Amino acid sequence: MKPHSFSAVVFLGILLWVLSATCQAEEIMPHLTVGTQEVGLSAGYLLPHRLTTEHTTKQSGPAFMPSWAMVLTDPIGDSWYRGQILIGAEIVYIQFERPELTHGVGFTPKIKYLFEGTHRIRPYVEFAGGPFYTDLGGRIPEESARFNFVLTAGGGISWFITPQLSFNAGYRFHHISNAGTRLPNIGLNSSLPFGGFSFYF
Amino acid sequence: MNDNPVLRCIVLVCCGLVIAMAGGCARWIEMMATPGGNQEGQSQLIARDERVPFIMDNIRITRNGSPQNPSAGTEQRILGSFEEIGLFSYLTGTNTAAPPANEKVIRARLSFDEAIDPHAGDAAWKGIVIGASMFILAPFIPLEYDYAAHVSLELERWDGQIKHYESQSAGTARYNLFGATPIMIDELKGHVTENCITDLTRQLVRDTTFFAASSAPIGEPGIRTVSVKSHAPKTSGSTSTVIPVSVPAEP
Repeated sequence: MKPHSFSAVVFLGILLWVLSATCQAEEIMPHLTVGTQEVGLSAGYLLPHRLTTEHTTKQSGPAFMPSWAMVLTDPIGDSWYRGQILIGAEIVYIQFERPELTHGVGFTPKIKYLFEGTHRIRPYVEFAGGPFYTDLGGRIPEESARFNFVLTAGGGISWFITPQLSFNAGYRFHHISNAGTRLPNIGLNSSLPFGGFSFYF
Repeated sequence: MNDNPVLRCIVLVCCGLVIAMAGGCARWIEMMATPGGNQEGQSQLIARDERVPFIMDNIRITRNGSPQNPSAGTEQRILGSFEEIGLFSYLTGTNTAAPPANEKVIRARLSFDEAIDPHAGDAAWKGIVIGASMFILAPFIPLEYDYAAHVSLELERWDGQIKHYESQSAGTARYNLFGATPIMIDELKGHVTENCITDLTRQLVRDTTFFAASSAPIGEPGIRTVSVKSHAPKTSGSTSTVIPVSVPAEP
């Protein structure tokens, strides 16, 4: 079986399980209080953005992001923006398939604002940044160093299947550069649509 | 003695990590001193057949001023604590059947007002600083969560005499980022609630003679009237609310 076929089968299996769990659940009301921990795993595919004429590399590849976060506040705000702040960290692993097979790994503290939404479907926005090591640096005209930093900002939707489990889907904008520690430092910009799940306990 | 600098560095780093992790996981609860909190509990005597039933008529709970659904857990906890002092023959909750009309009973109405201040703004800023420091500052930046409760209890004796009791307590949970758990907040609420209930029971015991069956004769049987009115909502800035007023038509 090809890897893509295997992934499709796994995805379909998860989807069927989710749908059956949804049908059984009568009322899903996640009760996230101060100190609630979130552990999750997301995966997506990096797509290149060449924002200037100096950007020539079409970097792309799958990304995996195991993460941890903790609810820092009770719900704040009284309007549509009512939600909770989470702080945490995640490990970002990217396998660059193009322009050549290389790898990158980083550690990024992150802050997340989880809107209250409809309780069961909760949108969120998040921002993360931290060090990122990749052997793609030095092989492309945009980045000369292997030690870089990654900054990401994006948003998504958490769909609570049970009060302790949510499936997430979202989008992130990725920026990789070395903060001017070595030249050239044009930076790599990418889009990262992703999906994943989180456990709350 | 082997004086290996690398080994010494590793030991120092390990010690630092252990201290940082231990500090980062710390949490503690500070309770505010409550008025009358240090008073010794005085015990009183009451004859077994002098005790009367206690009926919880109504429980009203508010959180930061907004009404909440009363929980069976809160009611059970309060009734359990009152049962422990042995002042009443038996206690019933709000959902149990009313006793016979000619029985001497104490009717209770309880109001439980909670005030929660999670210091959300502070927590957000501190969270950003902790994250930006790659969690190195986590052991050195404490976070706070305040909880206060004000309980007022109105007890009506079978002859219509009413007594009011009040108690209040407050506490703060201080914790470092890695020490936070939902249990910590439950613990804080538990301590504050316990303080309030203990203070209330102390006041009840002081008035033991008031609740004794022989303290007053039972009221005349007959039609007992009660006033019935709608509950006025407590809204802020209600001055601008327009209320339709109409004059009854002349016959």
